[in-house]
Amino acid sequence: MSGQDTFSAYSPIINFIFYIGAIICGMFFIHPAFLVCAVILSAAYYLTIRGSRGIKIVLGMIPVWIVLAVINPLVNTRGSIVLFTYFNDRPYTFEALCYGIALGAMFVSVILWFLSYNEVMTSDKFIYLFGKTLPSASLILTMVLRLVPNYQKKIKQIAGARKGIGKGADSESKREKAEDGLTIVSALTSWAFEGGIITADSMRSRGYGTGKRTNFSIYKFETRDRLLLIIMLLLLAAVFLCGLKGGTTATYTPDISLASNQWTVFGAIAYFIFLAIPTALNLLEALTWHILRSKI
Amino acid sequence: MQEKSIDKTKKKGGLSKSTWLCLLIIVVLVPATIFIGWQLGDRKYYITSVLIIFYSMIPFFVSFESRKPQARELVTIAVLCAIAVASRAAFIMLPAFKPIIGIIIIAGMAFGARAGFLTGAVSAFVSNFIFGQGPWTPWQMLAFGLAGFLAGLLHEKGILDSNRKVQVTVFGGLVIMLLVGPLLDTSTLFMMMSMVDTTSALTVYMAGVPINAVHAVAVMLTLFLLTKPMMEKLTRIKIKYGMMEAEKEPEEVIWKDE
Repeated sequence: MSGQDTFSAYSPIINFIFYIGAIICGMFFIHPAFLVCAVILSAAYYLTIRGSRGIKIVLGMIPVWIVLAVINPLVNTRGSIVLFTYFNDRPYTFEALCYGIALGAMFVSVILWFLSYNEVMTSDKFIYLFGKTLPSASLILTMVLRLVPNYQKKIKQIAGARKGIGKGADSESKREKAEDGLTIVSALTSWAFEGGIITADSMRSRGYGTGKRTNFSIYKFETRDRLLLIIMLLLLAAVFLCGLKGGTTATYTPDISLASNQWTVFGAIAYFIFLAIPTALNLLEALTWHILRSKI
Repeated sequence: MQEKSIDKTKKKGGLSKSTWLCLLIIVVLVPATIFIGWQLGDRKYYITSVLIIFYSMIPFFVSFESRKPQARELVTIAVLCAIAVASRAAFIMLPAFKPIIGIIIIAGMAFGARAGFLTGAVSAFVSNFIFGQGPWTPWQMLAFGLAGFLAGLLHEKGILDSNRKVQVTVFGGLVIMLLVGPLLDTSTLFMMMSMVDTTSALTVYMAGVPINAVHAVAVMLTLFLLTKPMMEKLTRIKIKYGMMEAEKEPEEVIWKDE
């Protein structure tokens, strides 16, 4: 299952709007129906892009979830059903525990969305999106992303050279290790700025700043992107409408009260479809490929 | 020549686009966000605060873009950011040692408040491309940016003297313990706690103190050992090549007008 990620082949605009929607909604909805959608689909999408390598990480989220759920009643003591008391009658309530479970689910789903975000929204997509509105800042971003690996390599070289003259981090003491690292950083700085000045002069002599900058990108906004964009915006509008009508209201402490009307059902279905888009695209692609291959 | 360039800066300086934008943000957007956010129930804190963080960063980026920075200025900031981010690779032996803010503070002192903010914000953003973006990204960008901004501002005003490394070291420690650490803890508080009150706030901030202390030690050591050599190098580069002083070159402004 791992390998092809159809969703990230769509336009970066689509990817970015999806993540904005998914993460903001994920931070915001604490209604169990919405949380269930978010947790299942964030995990499902992460698994479709990472395959079996992702299973360990998704399973690793479970202890985080449990810890967050168990800790919440220690801080939030509101609620009517007291499970037990500790330290001078401080109550540990059922409602706060439920709230903790909900918050844990929210946290886990947001982290899972960010994990797949890191795979999908690569830096070149980000620069494609903001290259026109923030030309100078995204140029800096491009340069930094190129320089960091370059400098990391240089740091290794400097450390190697220092080892060659008998200075290096072989010593035990932490302070000496830190001092050694800082000397390397200082040496790196001189070298980096000399290179930077050459870059700047080269940019100037090629006429940087005299005309409009163009951006290179390999992304296009096609018909399928337009179609998906419309669908996504409609679904988000539906979720928003559901929120306005009170379909997503959920309070846990001091008393549990969850909205459950036709708006909740409507909103949860729209939310599910919205969050399922990337997973569904990947699964459909895999299915199509499977059918086509069996015909050949 | 002199007059012309002064005129140009005046036109830009007198209630420029970014000033209007700041006013709009402070007077309209922030209160509106807080007002709408307050109606949202328990989850209001995180969304409202993240929106306000974005608003607070907009003026910096807009004023930076509208100045049409020269190649040297861009490269300087890019190099500073890359050094700050890559510096962690020099401490493979000490994984908990994070010198990044120390370098941002030095950058702020050497090149001014605006460059300090940009270096901080961009370094935070880029280092998250390597270590993973998350709900903490906007908070880190603001916290790191403010550290650089504050260092630059105090240095410009003459309060922070880069020749007195003890003072700079103490400043670095205070920045981590009072500004960067608490800001990042606030993101944890708003993200994970069901109820924002004195108990939950105290719990989160107290839990953050040891982590912030380790961070502060790293930054203080960085500043204590690096301030002098780095400031010397950066000042030399600034004087020798005129880095970051592109605005003061009148020939360039005239040349661009034609």
